[in-house]
Parts: sequence; structure tokens; C-alpha cells
Amino acid sequence: MLELDEKFFGRFGVEYSPNQIIFCEYEPGYEFYFIQKGKVRIVKIINDREKIIDVLGPGDVFGEMAILEEQPRSATVIAIDNVRVLKFHRDNFDALLAGNPQLAYKLLLIFSKRIYDQKRRLMILLLEEPSVKVMDVLIMLAEQNQQYDFEGELTLNTTARQVASWAGMAESEAQKELTHLARVDKIDLFEDRIVVKNIRDFQRVVTSRRKNLYS
Amino acid sequence: MTNGIQGGIRPRSYKAGSIIYFEGDKSEYVYILKTGRVLLTYIKIDTGEEVKEEVRQGEFFGVKSALGKYPREETAQTIGETVVLVLSLGDFERMILRNVNVVRKMLRVFSNQLRRIGKTVRTVLGESENVNPDLELFRIGEHYFKAGDFNKATYAFKKYLEYYPGTEYARIAMERIKTISSGGPAPSGGGGSDDLGDFSMESDSDDMFTFDEAPAPKAQTAPKPAASNKSEPAIASEFSSEMDDFLSDDNSIDDFGDFDLDSEASSAPSGLKGRFDEGESLFKRQNFPGALEIFQGILDGGEPAKEGDGKYFVDSHYYAGVCYYEMKKFKESMNLFAEIIKNRSDSEKYKGAVFYAGQIFEAAGQKDKAITYYNKVLNITPNDSLNGMAMDKIKALQRGR
Repeated sequence: MLELDEKFFGRFGVEYSPNQIIFCEYEPGYEFYFIQKGKVRIVKIINDREKIIDVLGPGDVFGEMAILEEQPRSATVIAIDNVRVLKFHRDNFDALLAGNPQLAYKLLLIFSKRIYDQKRRLMILLLEEPSVKVMDVLIMLAEQNQQYDFEGELTLNTTARQVASWAGMAESEAQKELTHLARVDKIDLFEDRIVVKNIRDFQRVVTSRRKNLYS
Repeated sequence: MTNGIQGGIRPRSYKAGSIIYFEGDKSEYVYILKTGRVLLTYIKIDTGEEVKEEVRQGEFFGVKSALGKYPREETAQTIGETVVLVLSLGDFERMILRNVNVVRKMLRVFSNQLRRIGKTVRTVLGESENVNPDLELFRIGEHYFKAGDFNKATYAFKKYLEYYPGTEYARIAMERIKTISSGGPAPSGGGGSDDLGDFSMESDSDDMFTFDEAPAPKAQTAPKPAASNKSEPAIASEFSSEMDDFLSDDNSIDDFGDFDLDSEASSAPSGLKGRFDEGESLFKRQNFPGALEIFQGILDGGEPAKEGDGKYFVDSHYYAGVCYYEMKKFKESMNLFAEIIKNRSDSEKYKGAVFYAGQIFEAAGQKDKAITYYNKVLNITPNDSLNGMAMDKIKALQRGR
């Protein structure tokens, strides 16, 4: 977690109360934020529904795209509880980096991870069959837990709804696929978790389908 | 880039054609090409094509996967005798801490990549890229306004005013903020009334229900809403004052979907379908006065008792409204569409009625209201040809400002 001088809070600290908007999708943005305390949710309005993209907590950064690119905000950020952030204008970025090189390093880490996550998601979305997409979501979730042993049974703390969101499909459709996998004894379905019997099976299927995509 | 490369960082020599790492390898080392050549080969995930990129001398490679602790996405192979510097993450961090410009450059590259991937993801998901940030910002305000989440709506509208003052929407945004700050359109606290769905809600809902219970919908004038709720300044145009009254009441329209049409039965004219078909046939031949006479006759008969006739009764409002519109009798036209918009939101003519309301305001020179209604059309499912027409209208009105 990033250790920034308390003196920064005096100059850059801002507090938000629960349910307050920090910034809004499509608003021009010139600042980026470090969360010191509390949680925020990142949402987008899609088809007139508020969809949660992510939840961030202390040590996380958001709004970082504004540092380098002149683009409107790509999502809305809303305080979940009492939130305390450090807010930096892009014009201060150089000075800030010079004074806090760890921050620069932290940003690199964040970008690296986000790029990978997005690419990984794209790989799932590009698969054609819903059943294979669902398998690949489970593989991805397993990959995120680096301590997992892929040889044995593994437990993923996820739900049909989350799987659907990753796979870009309706919840009912994801539920159907998961139910099928459970029926053929590939997974056990629980309310708050999914136990995968043998993730290697899924990897084989997905790898072969992915190869066929371009051939 | 050589300053800062010191300390425990080891150079490593490779023969021509050596693999530094394979795609899929996991490792926490970062490399800098010192002398020689390195080729990175990877498969583009969206097209499956193989891409080769050469690293330039002094450049980093293997950074993202090392930092993100994920498998290598590319294979790195040398061409000719090559020397690279191998950095552990610790080395890399120490070096970075002394070279803020390098970080800045990397961040720029990363952030570009992130945008590009995000764009591809949205395309694959079928989310449109073709948007105006200003319109979208306004629509976010509308979303929260409709949802009764007034703090968020106010934030979005205020931002809209800050960045896009002087637009047609800015006026609407201003109205919304005033409405909210004067206690909000719905019972306070937001979301108090489930019926207050769409769009504007500047009046109080009791009025709406009183209006509903009135027996004959023909040529109604809406009762005035409580003055305190009116935020709309009077507009001086020929017939705008009545329209305004209508609108400020109408502003709490929509989504009275639960309202039971069939229970309001009164006297039933016989042979309703036959007469309706006759009217429709005249209408199709663009004999609007003739069609109007028939539709008006159906309306004068009041709500039909026979269950299946309800549709003809509602549709007669619509066609009579279109007839009046074609005859440029906008006030009469608006009253009929208002009946559908307010009380018959479950009708399949509902969306058409909203669109015509937009056209009437456009004809009356009230661009902001026209835009409001066209915008509303966009929010009514299903997505059909009216959406395209409404979008074209909005664009034309915005250009024509």
C-alpha cells in the first residue's frame, strides 16, 4: 500500500459521504485519485441500468486515464461509505512523481494488471460457444488465485451473475450453462461459490476452441 | 536511458536465435536491450494474426507481465549476438524511482493500450462507440433523475451546465436542478412513487390521478398543477402558454403502466371495429378530415365496454391526434397524444405519441421541449425505426441552434 505523507492530505485530500458521486461518466476529467479510506464503486449506465464494474478500496487508484489522455471519464465513481481520497490534477503529475516515485511505480503495476485483465476478458468474449465462454471464465478466475493447484479440485468464490458479467451474457444463460456443467459432474454449484472438479479439462476444451477460431 | 543502470543489475549474453523467454512462461524479470537485436512475437487476440516487433536498443521488454505477475504474452528471441540487462522487480523499482521520465513514457504507452483494449471489448459486447459525450452526460443526469436519485442527478446536471452551457439541453438541465432543489418532483426522498417513471416529473401525482378519473378524455385540458411545483418560466409564443400548462402537468407522465384500462368501462358503441377500420382506411388515403370525423365519433362514444374494443378506442386517440397534426391543429393534436402519454402508456401507440409530441413542440419552435420528447423516444423499448428518427431530429435541432 502506498505511503504518502500526511502533509499531502492537507493539500490534496478530499472527503466524500456515502452515495456521493466523485466523478461522472462522460464528464471531462483532469484529476486522478488515490483512495486512503473507504470504498467506491465504479459504475456505468448501460441500457438505462446502473451496472457495477468494480469496487475499489484503500490503496487503489482511479481516474488515472486522465493523467495522460484527454478523454472524458469512462465510468462513474460513487462513494460507498465515508471516503477519503487524495486528488491530483494532471498538471501536478510531474511534480508529484518527482516527489513520490513509489507512486509512479504503483501506477505502472496498476496499469499492467488492468491491461492483462482486459485482454483476458477479451479472450473470453471472443469465444463463440456460451458453454466454452463459461468454462474460460472459470479458468480465468482460477488463474487469478495464484496459489491454486490446477491439478486438484478448486473452489472459486463466484456466482452465476458474476460469471455472466465476465462472459458478456445474460445471467439466465450463464445459469443454464453452469447447471449443465453441474449435471455432468464437472462442477458443484453453491449459492456463493463454484467448485471445479478438474480445471485442466476446461483448459483443454478452451485451448482447442481458441485454436479453431482463427483456422 | 543508461543513467540509472547501475548497481546489481547483471548483463547477460545470448547467441543468435536464443529464446530469452517463451510465451506462457512466468517470471519476474524485466529486461533492457543493451546491444544486438531482440524480436518479440505474439498472437493478436482479436484476429489471431502473428505479430513481430523488434525491441530498440535501450528499451525495456517483459515489463507488463513481470509487474502484473502474469504469464508472458510474447516470445522474446535474439537475432545475432545480443546482450541484455536482467532486472529483478526490486532492481526495476529502484531504477524507476530515479527515472520519472521513463515512468511517464511507460504510463503513456500502457494507458494507450488500455484504451484500445477497452474499445475492442466494448465493440465485442456491442456497446456503441458512436456517442456524444455531452448528450451522454445529460442522459446520465436523466437516468438518475428518473430513478429518483436526485443528488446524483443534480451532480450530473451541474457538470453538464459547467461544461456545456448555452445548449438546448442546458436549459433542461437547469430546470431539472430547480425542480430538485424546490423539493423534487416526486414525494420527497426520491423514489417515493413507483409510478413516476420516465422523464420529467414536475407536477404532483395527485393531479394526474384526478385527471385519470375524468370520464371523457376528449379534448381535455389538463388541470393546472400546484404553482409551487412549476419551475417552467412562461414562454411567449402564440399557443405556448397552454402547452406549457399542459406540459408542466404532463411532466409527471408515463409509466402508469399498472393502471387498469378495462375497469373504466362506460357506454359501449356498437360495431366499433367496423367504424375504426373505416377511419383507418380514410386515414391511409390521407383523407385526414374524413378520418378525423370517424375517430372523433369513436372518442365521443367514450370508453367501450367490450374488452376487445379498448384498443380501438386508444388507437382512435392516436389517429385522431395524427389527423389534427397533419391539419396543423397542434393544440387539439397534443391533447389527444397527451391522453395516450399520460394514461395509456401500455399502448403500442405510446411511443408514436411521444414522438408526435416532440414534433408538435418542434413545430411550435420550442426546441428544448422537442428535444426532451425525442430523447424520451430513445428510452422507450423496443428499439425501432422511431429511435433513428428521434436521434436524427435531435441532431438536426442541435445543429440548427
